[in-house]
Amino acid sequence: MRRRIAKLALVCFCTGLTALHAQEFKLLGRTVQVHGFASQGFIYTNQNNWLTMHSSQGSGAFTDFGVNVSMQVTDKLRIGAQLYDRNLGNLGEWHPSVDWAFVDYKFKTWFGIRGGKVKTVLGLYNDTQDLDFLHTFALLPQSVYPTDLRDTSIAHLGGDIYGKVALHHHLGNISYTAYAGHRSDSIYSGYAYLLTQSFVYFRSMGGLQYGGDLRWNTPLKGLLVGASRMNENVSGQGSFVNVLNPAAGLVPYQVSSKSDWTNQYYGEYAVGKLRFDTEYRRYFRDEPYTSNSEASNDVRGWYVSGAYRIHKRLELGSYYSRYAITSLVSGALAAAGFPDQTDTSLPANHIYDKVITARVDLNRFWNVKVEGHFMNGYGAGTYPGGFYPQVNPTGFKPNTNALVLKTSWSF
Amino acid sequence: MKCQRIFPLIAVVVLFGSVHALAGDVKIVANPSIRADSITAAELRSVFLEEKRSLSDGSHVEPVLAKGGEAHEAFLKQYLGKNDDGLQNYYRTLVFTGTGAMPKVLASDVDVVHYVAKTKGAIGYVSLDALVEGVKVLTIVQAGPSAERKLLTRVEPEYPETLQRLQIGGMVRLRVSISPKGSVDGVSLLGGSPILAEAAIKAVKQWVYAPGPSRTTAEVSIPFDPKR
Repeated sequence: MRRRIAKLALVCFCTGLTALHAQEFKLLGRTVQVHGFASQGFIYTNQNNWLTMHSSQGSGAFTDFGVNVSMQVTDKLRIGAQLYDRNLGNLGEWHPSVDWAFVDYKFKTWFGIRGGKVKTVLGLYNDTQDLDFLHTFALLPQSVYPTDLRDTSIAHLGGDIYGKVALHHHLGNISYTAYAGHRSDSIYSGYAYLLTQSFVYFRSMGGLQYGGDLRWNTPLKGLLVGASRMNENVSGQGSFVNVLNPAAGLVPYQVSSKSDWTNQYYGEYAVGKLRFDTEYRRYFRDEPYTSNSEASNDVRGWYVSGAYRIHKRLELGSYYSRYAITSLVSGALAAAGFPDQTDTSLPANHIYDKVITARVDLNRFWNVKVEGHFMNGYGAGTYPGGFYPQVNPTGFKPNTNALVLKTSWSF
Repeated sequence: MKCQRIFPLIAVVVLFGSVHALAGDVKIVANPSIRADSITAAELRSVFLEEKRSLSDGSHVEPVLAKGGEAHEAFLKQYLGKNDDGLQNYYRTLVFTGTGAMPKVLASDVDVVHYVAKTKGAIGYVSLDALVEGVKVLTIVQAGPSAERKLLTRVEPEYPETLQRLQIGGMVRLRVSISPKGSVDGVSLLGGSPILAEAAIKAVKQWVYAPGPSRTTAEVSIPFDPKR
């Protein structure tokens, strides 16, 4: 069934390339715009299966698409919504979701508000991570933008205040965003999928998410630096099978974080056809299991990337990405023999990824990317890192090379 | 005799005309519903980056882009500081995060002028030699370091008859010194077509700005369009 849907999506995608254009029409005297995008990828890995796909056999379960409608109601008021759907290996499973839907009122350039479901601003690319056609790379650095965990940071149901302030004395300008709302994960996301190996089945997951972003467009033309902070209070409800007492069947399961935050620092330098990015993200989550035990995950990732457009239709890029995770347990969990994981030199606790990419723009709306990943480590701890035991039942190997082909289109 | 006068003139025009083309000047055209006669470079940038949809005088504005060409490239470089790829990505980011719209993109100067003329609030750019019937041409004011000063009285320059007859046009860029009372007490030539500068300077000296707390400077671009 899933294959049939995938084939149908592919056919729609290919025919859509020639059939669809951006649409614009008038409603109550105002212009309404309709835009959309779609991407289709293929991944082949030589060792471990990656991103919940059976990629060592070659997998095309790497599709997403979205369509949005928006209208500028007045000079200050804007409304719109976007529907998004994806299938990535065992994630997404073609369950569509409202990607964003909000009302935006901009009082002044330096102050505006948004309310509804809003994309979360976190670092350079969190809010645009699905928009393949905007990026040089087929996969953004997974140490900072793990595509299997997009739900954890992609949007919140709540409100933002935002603005841009020009600085005196030719010091550039500062853009700010502050937000608060409710994050709601799909049960088809990476974290929920990881826990199914422990016979935990989530019914819902989400919670409070609030934070801010500050970015400075410096006086040096093309140089942007910034910092983001996100705090969360997330809980999940579902059921699980106690392997020590399977006869009891499914019993209720609940989990919530005690401390859950992300810090991200970034810089971008773009001049002419050349662009450099670098970002550092630290994600910390402390989760009580019982009244006297808890486990924490401390994920640190960073990357440096460069891209150069050598021709109107060809851009080359490369990045180096490092992901490291440490886990600490205490109380009954430690007593039960669960070890701390603090040695990030072990392949189980890191992923170092060297990447080269060629992006070919067939026209303004359609591109094709060819990308090579050379990874050391598999980072398969208690928090997802792209490599899942369910699709690697015989265990992990320390190195993985991946060939990624991807095409995307937007209108 | 007449030829003797005109040939050196043409030589000067050819020489400085090529310099002028490299400078990449364009004409900013606007629908007559826009009340302002001038716009600051910063405001123009904000309009085209969709940071604002109305000017400081309250006029509704919506940007119109050209699909390509020299005027397009010159405009992006001079006023937006982006190349075409960068600008397209910028607009797509707005469109697909819900924070803005894709501006109208038109194929030629003629299409831009036609669309701007009939669309309330539209503002676009065309090459210097484009016909601009039905639209108004805005002066670009590069605000100085102190503050923006509202232009109260604007005197248009007298087009030198010989140059207009020879279809010689261009843009003159001037730095204007404005007294606290609002009068223009100093003008210097920054660039553009020097043979048109005299007329431009003469006109700008008669401009009057709103009073301000101190002396300020501004950069203004004066278009000379022989077809108007």
